[in-house]
Amino acid sequence: MIPDRLESNLRQGFRESLLPKLGLVLLASILIMAIFAPVLATHNPTRTGYLDENGNSYPPLGTSYTTEIGQDGEFVEVEVESTSDHLLGTNDIGQDVFSRLVYGARTSMLVGLLGTGLAVLIGVPFGLVSGYYGGRVDDVMMRIADTMLAFPSLVLALALIGVFGSAGFGIPDPLTRFGLIDGMPESTTLPGTVTVVVALVTWVWFARVARGEAMSVRNEEYVTAARSMGASNWTILFKHVLPNSLTPVIVLATIQVAAVILLESSLSFLGFSGTTLSWGYDISRGQGYQRTSWWISMVPGLGIVFAVIAVNLLGDWLRDALDPNIEGEGGGA
Amino acid sequence: MTDTDDILRVNDLSTRFFTEQGQVNAVDELELRIERGEVFGIVGESGSGKSVTARSVIDLIDAPGEIIDGEIWFDDAELAETVREDAPDAVDGSFVDLLSVSPAVRQSLRGTSFSMIFQDPESSFNPSLTVGEQLAEAVEVQRRASANPRSTKAKTDSAEYSFGNLLLSTVLPSQQFVTEESRERAIELLELVGIPDPVERADEYPHEYSGGMLQRAMIAQALAGEPDVLIADEPTTALDVTIQAQILDLLDDLQTETGMTILLITHNLGVVARMCDRVGVMYAGEIVERGTLEDVFDDHVHPYTEGLLGSIPELGGANGQLEPIGGNVPSLLDHEMEDRCHFADRCPMAMEDCLDHPPEFDAAGSEAHTVRCVLATQSYTEREALPPNYFGDTERPAGDKHAEPAHSDGEQPAERTRTTISDSGGESR
Amino acid sequence: MSIGKFLVKRLLQGVLVIWGVITIMFALRAVSPGDPANLIVGPAADPEIRDQVREQYGLNEPIYVQYVDYVQGMITGDFGYSFQSSREVTAMVLERVPATLELAIAATIIAIVIAVPLGVISASRRNEPADYGATLFSLLGISTPNFWLGLMLILLFAVFLQDPMETYLGFTFPQGRRPVGFGEAVMTLVTTGYAGDLLTWVRHIMLPAITLGTYFTAMITRLTRSGMIDEFGKPYVTATEAKGIPYVLIRYKHVLRNTMIPIITVLGLQLGTLIGGAVITETVFNWPGLGDRLIQALNARDWPLMQGIIVFIALGFVLINIAVDALYATLDPRVTNE
Repeated sequence: MIPDRLESNLRQGFRESLLPKLGLVLLASILIMAIFAPVLATHNPTRTGYLDENGNSYPPLGTSYTTEIGQDGEFVEVEVESTSDHLLGTNDIGQDVFSRLVYGARTSMLVGLLGTGLAVLIGVPFGLVSGYYGGRVDDVMMRIADTMLAFPSLVLALALIGVFGSAGFGIPDPLTRFGLIDGMPESTTLPGTVTVVVALVTWVWFARVARGEAMSVRNEEYVTAARSMGASNWTILFKHVLPNSLTPVIVLATIQVAAVILLESSLSFLGFSGTTLSWGYDISRGQGYQRTSWWISMVPGLGIVFAVIAVNLLGDWLRDALDPNIEGEGGGA
Repeated sequence: MTDTDDILRVNDLSTRFFTEQGQVNAVDELELRIERGEVFGIVGESGSGKSVTARSVIDLIDAPGEIIDGEIWFDDAELAETVREDAPDAVDGSFVDLLSVSPAVRQSLRGTSFSMIFQDPESSFNPSLTVGEQLAEAVEVQRRASANPRSTKAKTDSAEYSFGNLLLSTVLPSQQFVTEESRERAIELLELVGIPDPVERADEYPHEYSGGMLQRAMIAQALAGEPDVLIADEPTTALDVTIQAQILDLLDDLQTETGMTILLITHNLGVVARMCDRVGVMYAGEIVERGTLEDVFDDHVHPYTEGLLGSIPELGGANGQLEPIGGNVPSLLDHEMEDRCHFADRCPMAMEDCLDHPPEFDAAGSEAHTVRCVLATQSYTEREALPPNYFGDTERPAGDKHAEPAHSDGEQPAERTRTTISDSGGESR
Repeated sequence: MSIGKFLVKRLLQGVLVIWGVITIMFALRAVSPGDPANLIVGPAADPEIRDQVREQYGLNEPIYVQYVDYVQGMITGDFGYSFQSSREVTAMVLERVPATLELAIAATIIAIVIAVPLGVISASRRNEPADYGATLFSLLGISTPNFWLGLMLILLFAVFLQDPMETYLGFTFPQGRRPVGFGEAVMTLVTTGYAGDLLTWVRHIMLPAITLGTYFTAMITRLTRSGMIDEFGKPYVTATEAKGIPYVLIRYKHVLRNTMIPIITVLGLQLGTLIGGAVITETVFNWPGLGDRLIQALNARDWPLMQGIIVFIALGFVLINIAVDALYATLDPRVTNE
């Protein structure tokens, strides 16, 4: 599907720059983290109560902090030491931060990939039809797209979740289900509503790109030829127009995965996600505790940053090699 | 060094491009003499190094390209005086070696001493400024330069180029770098090159001009600084045939009027025949044959010149057929260039002596006629001829120069040289 | 096409879009599960009171009547009454606009002031340390969720630098009010010559604006860099060099200007990201703007308030994009001619 010249561009970009390699390594690590979460996690991420005898959370390995506890009616300063049991410490209700970091990758990757995939499935056919038929059809469809664009994606997502609530459903985890690993959650919660909502607020960008491609291909000679041979519009759309628009769609999809990861984390930060096992939610847990327990929100934030950097690096690599002129909405939030 | 009236003497000019595939010898130890007031043509196929030569002269070689060696002596007594103090080695009489002066001095010569017109007028204008403003801008820069002769500092330090002003100019419709006088001069220039309603057209944008009109505007822009040398790089190639003739007429008239020197770069011998006093034929980064028009058109020695002439329909072989030169434009990659006559692999008359790189021989005809080919000193004999497949599978025409041209070979039509009819049609068809 | 015609066309399209936004918001409310009356008076309320409330809010009318009423209300600027506080939605929206606007404008200014020079330096010194630095910064900037960045900035300033954050940076506003708005602060300065209020304002807006602006700084840096590199490669740059124009003039007047033209359009489209970012930034810093109120409305399922805020945001987005298009049309002469 990808022409030779583009392939050689891709190779060249990969060879010459460190960045695509870095992106690939990062993304691979995060995917491995997500897939083998039950193996890598040291504790059950949902289990609470890993606190010291005074009910204080543990700091990351090698650090300590002082806090005040009530003792015999007065406040006493105590030093809380880290423990090798909890690499990155525990949060305010005593959950293991490292294990939650590992499991959080699952939610991010699931929503990022599924949400973007769904957005492609909605946006690309919409854009192809709009661009290919042109005229009045295009006018109407583009006004719909403009309307969608008039909503900031986070705001529209919030409104949709406000209507439909935020449901999640469990996907059984084979590693624990078949007894290969003990003591880990038996299923992973996919925030279903969030995934759909994220697709509903980002598909327009795919529609715009697909429309542009369809418009440019529409008048190509081979399409005219196919039409003169009696090919139906649908055949032309799927056999000629769709393959041509794939390159920019792939690039946009890569960039959008980053945007979707950011959007999901924003939603879960605001408490509108279907799962609590999410980096954004974990960041919000630390919000009141920055003064002492800085790691609670710092660690999951770093998870997001690395995941998004990985995807952006790959996106830049693809964009530089394939050079379609596209724009997408950034995550921003 | 002042016995002839040369304005430009280029010695040993070598310009290289350092690319990923390797070093490209775009211009190789090139010698060039251009007399004041003449029209000198450089002709050759695409990739022969003619454009790079021109850009080396006006200092527009961008990375990864670099002039690695040579001298470009330019006759300008006034410049020689100013440069003498700082760089005595760069001055010889009234001549200045442009490759030995500071970049600032070189930059200051653009527009005033040298200016250039380009092949594609549409892409050579900034699309978001009016044509008038772009001309006025050139006028203004030259006006300031002549107010402070050779003081490049004055150009960059003046208050108008303060950082704040520059930044503002990115958002505001920026009339602030032109003045009323420069605008009037711009309109005069437009009128000079034959643009009707110059006052109105000055306020139009490049996309509102036709290609021919825009090329006229570009010529006007090049004249803004009253340059001594005008470099015209394929000035008519992108234009319609009828427009081409008009543009050439215009250049001709302007040259007669102002007496400026023109260095004309083209792949079209028709254009050369019409415009030039002397001509150099370029191949693989060097001039392989040079002389007056008569020398090159009637008394040429080099088979490449012969081939080029053969590829113009109206000057073509006896049967009037177009005869493209067989084979491909040579690779200029340093590691692929052998130390031989670079044309030998395409030459229908290649001999054993061609395996040595030939020097420039004097040839019959005018004094200026020289040629880089052994045929200047010996005649072609079958006995010394190289076998047809000597250079591997490049399609080299057989010994007989009247042999079938490559295009009727039929086997690899797609790989023919780019010198085909559409390229060299010329305005006279 | 004249610029006037062009604008009229864009305005008409804008009206259609706003109508679409209103319709979508109405539809969302209509399909929303649950009886809105419950939200107002609570599920345990007397059925009679509930009916009274339904009557009062027009909830008993057939759906199309409700729709017409709703659209009419929107057109006349009547966004209805908040379920929760029974206040007029229009007033509740308008009182929050200045704070959000100040935040968004401050963030945009920070972004442009930092990003454009950074992008220019990056493009002019390609593959030098400055370029690598700018590239790394912009990669981090577009990859960092701004709510996290905000928390980390608070951590940095308040905890590690030991700043008394409540008094100095003032992140939290207990009464849901800012100590001082920009307008008031400027008025104080003009009338009394007292600059303290303005300084207070600057201190308060500093971190939220940096938080919101970082993503845009990064994005504009990237766009400026790649745009200028593209632009430098165009033939007209060589042609301009050939006529003797000094390099600085080429870089700013020609190249940067032509680079900024398309960037302006992209920025218009990215405005949605800016507003989305403002919503979440306001939450982190308790900044009493529209976003903060939107989250409150969502949590309370206060439909009229939520609709009012979202329609208002969409209206702003559409208007600003029309302004951006007009600016684009004046900067790029080719647009109106196509």
